[in-house]
Amino acid sequence: MAVISLPYRYLERLTRTDRKTILNKIALIGSDIERTEEDHVDVEFFPDRPDLFSPEGVARAMRGFLNIETGLPVYPVTPSGLSFTVDPGLAEIRPVLCAAVIRGLSFDDESIQSIMSLQEALHWAVGRGRSKVAIGIHDLSKVTGPFRYIAAPRDFSFVPLDYTESMTMEEMLEKHPKGKAYAHLVNNFKKFPLILDAHDQVLSFPPIINGELTRVTTGTTDILLDTTGTDRRAVMRAVSIVCTALAEAGGKLESVTIDGQVCPDLSASARTISVAECNKLLGLSLTPEEMAALLHRMRFGATPDGNGTLRVDVPCFRGDIMHNWDIFEDVAIAYGYENIQDNPPDTFTVGKPHPVQVLAMLVRDVFCGLGYLEVMPFTLTNEEVLFTRMRRKERAGILHVLHPISIENTVVRTELLPLLMEFFTLNRHRELPQRLFTVGDVVVDCSTYQQASGVSTHPDADFSEAYALADVVLHELSVEYTVTESDDPAFIEGRRADILVNGKKAGVFGEIHPLVLNAFALEHPVAGFEIDLRAVPGYPGH
Amino acid sequence: MADLTQNEKRLLVALAQDRHADIVSLAAQLNATPEAVVQWAHLAMDKGLVRLERTVKKTFVYTAEGEEYLKSGLPETQVLVGIGDGISLAGLQKLPAFKIGFGQLRKKGLVTVTGGMVTKAAGATTADDDAALKHPQAGGARVKDLIKRNLLQETETVGHTLEITPTGLALGKSGLDLREETGTLTRDQILSGEWKDLNLRRYDVTNLPKKAYPGKIHPYQRIIAEMREILLEMGFTELYGSIIQQSYWNFDALFQPQDHPAREMQDTFYLGETLPLPAGYERVKAMHESGGDTSSTGWGGVWKEEKAEQCVLRTHTTSLSIQYLAENPTPPVKAFCIGRVYRRETIDTTHLAEFEQLEGIVMDEDVTFGNLLGILREFYHRMGFEGVRFKPSYYPYTEPSLDAEVYVDGIGWIEMGGAGVFREEVTAPFGINYPVLAWGLGVSRIAMLRLGLKDLRNLHRSDVAFLRETPALRRRDGGA
Repeated sequence: MAVISLPYRYLERLTRTDRKTILNKIALIGSDIERTEEDHVDVEFFPDRPDLFSPEGVARAMRGFLNIETGLPVYPVTPSGLSFTVDPGLAEIRPVLCAAVIRGLSFDDESIQSIMSLQEALHWAVGRGRSKVAIGIHDLSKVTGPFRYIAAPRDFSFVPLDYTESMTMEEMLEKHPKGKAYAHLVNNFKKFPLILDAHDQVLSFPPIINGELTRVTTGTTDILLDTTGTDRRAVMRAVSIVCTALAEAGGKLESVTIDGQVCPDLSASARTISVAECNKLLGLSLTPEEMAALLHRMRFGATPDGNGTLRVDVPCFRGDIMHNWDIFEDVAIAYGYENIQDNPPDTFTVGKPHPVQVLAMLVRDVFCGLGYLEVMPFTLTNEEVLFTRMRRKERAGILHVLHPISIENTVVRTELLPLLMEFFTLNRHRELPQRLFTVGDVVVDCSTYQQASGVSTHPDADFSEAYALADVVLHELSVEYTVTESDDPAFIEGRRADILVNGKKAGVFGEIHPLVLNAFALEHPVAGFEIDLRAVPGYPGH
Repeated sequence: MADLTQNEKRLLVALAQDRHADIVSLAAQLNATPEAVVQWAHLAMDKGLVRLERTVKKTFVYTAEGEEYLKSGLPETQVLVGIGDGISLAGLQKLPAFKIGFGQLRKKGLVTVTGGMVTKAAGATTADDDAALKHPQAGGARVKDLIKRNLLQETETVGHTLEITPTGLALGKSGLDLREETGTLTRDQILSGEWKDLNLRRYDVTNLPKKAYPGKIHPYQRIIAEMREILLEMGFTELYGSIIQQSYWNFDALFQPQDHPAREMQDTFYLGETLPLPAGYERVKAMHESGGDTSSTGWGGVWKEEKAEQCVLRTHTTSLSIQYLAENPTPPVKAFCIGRVYRRETIDTTHLAEFEQLEGIVMDEDVTFGNLLGILREFYHRMGFEGVRFKPSYYPYTEPSLDAEVYVDGIGWIEMGGAGVFREEVTAPFGINYPVLAWGLGVSRIAMLRLGLKDLRNLHRSDVAFLRETPALRRRDGGA
């Protein structure tokens, strides 16, 4: 999520209203106020609205929402006469370039900070960590066109931002903080992307670092924006957002040519929406004119065309509008969620519990009746608990998480009983007897199914107690079973049995082996039982 | 004073004669152990009927060596007798007591040795030492010396003396019912009618009972069961399904772009396993790349099969909802699922890597966004939240999207869950032609409010005391 810092005075000047009015309504366009400070407010916006990642963008939206200035904002662009060429050798590396010139800006430390925050937020939300899009902002007065975007040898050197000495691009990937952070984006290529001016001065090594030469300072008035990437749509989207934000800040936009193509294109895109379809989805009954007025407040152009449809002009910075329903949402936001009639639908249906959950509730009933207390262990565990401490061999079909957070959570549980043993360890200091059970999912070979397990510990816990428990639970669940001596090493030899249902092993019970008790740091005997609930008649699919 | 136990009564009657007595003699008189008498005395003392005094008595015990000297006389006495009027040192050394006895005599200055001859000092006697050994209770330096020589051991015995108070005395003389008390009523007594003549022991109802611990379902499961009940009452069908999901069903079918940050290894638990894509996956691919046959632009770029085949631990139960809708595209559908979902988060007091999510969907011909708000309001009301409000939000697979907030006394408005209408990009590839209203919420957030939990981990790594002490019926505190 992007948290944007909005200085009150700047925001008030741009929005043309007071901070109280803005803060009262800002959440209603889709945001969360994180912190209100003396001189600014930090607001979190959603990743689909990067056009709100700057005070200028927020002010533009709020002017519309508050009816101060509505409709499609228009940003005039005049040609700068500057041009770029793109080296075909970049096709496999980082082929897309878009650029623009913004003149007549005045920067102070705060506004430099603000534009850098926008840049970073866009790198995250649109650029996917600079892989799809990387933005460079330069002091235009330091360089001379025409410019060239080339694939340069890795040992080409220049002075990167924040440094005073020249180094090779390869060295930057090893030494410069930004180089280290983003090296993975270029390191596989034989050549690196580079933007040079007419005198071979370096503007930028995208997507890593700019040259120190073109650093934006409080003396900067004219900016050259370069945006490179791998996805044309995403690059255009980022350029539109930065250009229009700087235009809102008072800049004059100028275009450049890139291999002859004029850039940027800040024109709106047109969509036609059905008023009836929008009303039907939202549960409203707006006239085309009312709907158009709401869309104007969301900074769209919208014109009723007399056929029950609206022609909607989507501003260039609204790259999140992918589908007509995205426009419907803006209608709803402008209308106000709080004003929408909230009646439940009259769809008639009959409630239907899932048989697996019905069975689980039944199992809980039976165990509770026997005085067993339910616990709900995590489903992620580790081999140490499942197998090593239980003296069992690792089970085939166990699923390993590829990137576990800790050594505690490396596999998905295949059994429940070892997890109950862990509960005894946790509760060693609590009063005995302790009788615990759990019922829940286990996973073997990508297949999820339910098991149930019960354990009892106290000085007299023994095989007979385990057998009695297994017998009564299976009886209550109408499971017809036979038993045979088990060879499960978790239990004491001669005090353990496998449960067979239709000749197939479905569970086990017995008296836990003292070595297992030692491994779980337990001092009293434990009687344990576990059953695969697929053995219960009526379990779905079995 | 009707609540005297039988034993307290016997104690009072026994004491009423001599007014005070020590516990040991009382114990003998009442045919009980001294420990039992002390216990009864404490009960009577709490009622102001007796005073119990602790006395410490010193007693002396002979060691085996001391015991022997008690019979044969101290070694110095034996040697002194052996000396007589004088004896050669060599002769004296033959006495078994010589080693200790002679040393003691020299120490006490009772003998002199001149030219191999031993003689007594004038008036030499060990009579006082012998007396000290015989009667150590008298105490004194000589007794201390004997203790030092390990002939005697001093022990302290704690005794109790009991004195009856005037109240106790009056009660003791008032004629108490001293019939034998009966604890457990027997079958024979009940059948024979003997119970009529029994003096049944009374219980002090102000004493707390012994704790009993019931078997019961987990307090968290109780909340899950309540939500399940509400949704079943509202006519929803319950879903259950695999924890392991293909990325295809977990992300792609929900129109989550393949480069979405939530799909990265840092946020989602991936498994090494892959599963083949289901028939018709091409429609999902087309939707991602170009928006299929809808008004959508799609995400652009190339949709990769191998990314969709990877298995993950489901990050939401929406993967089950979309599969259910794909299998049941005919309206109406109302379904819900409460199940464990997984996010690759570092575990702390308010974040778990696995937690329960509740999700509901409604698909019907004419359902609206307004209906979704209505369902949410109804559901939260039934969960005990009176104040419910909605605000715009963003979820990749719903449009319009919203967050629901509920009002909790003492806390204020808190976010309870997200909702929205499934995007057409989600429904169209599966031939679902009507709006799908969907909402989800984290069950543990409600559990934290209801159970007053400070640490979410206690739901899954529970202290048995917490489970035993949490009552089955909880007041709906915090508005929930």
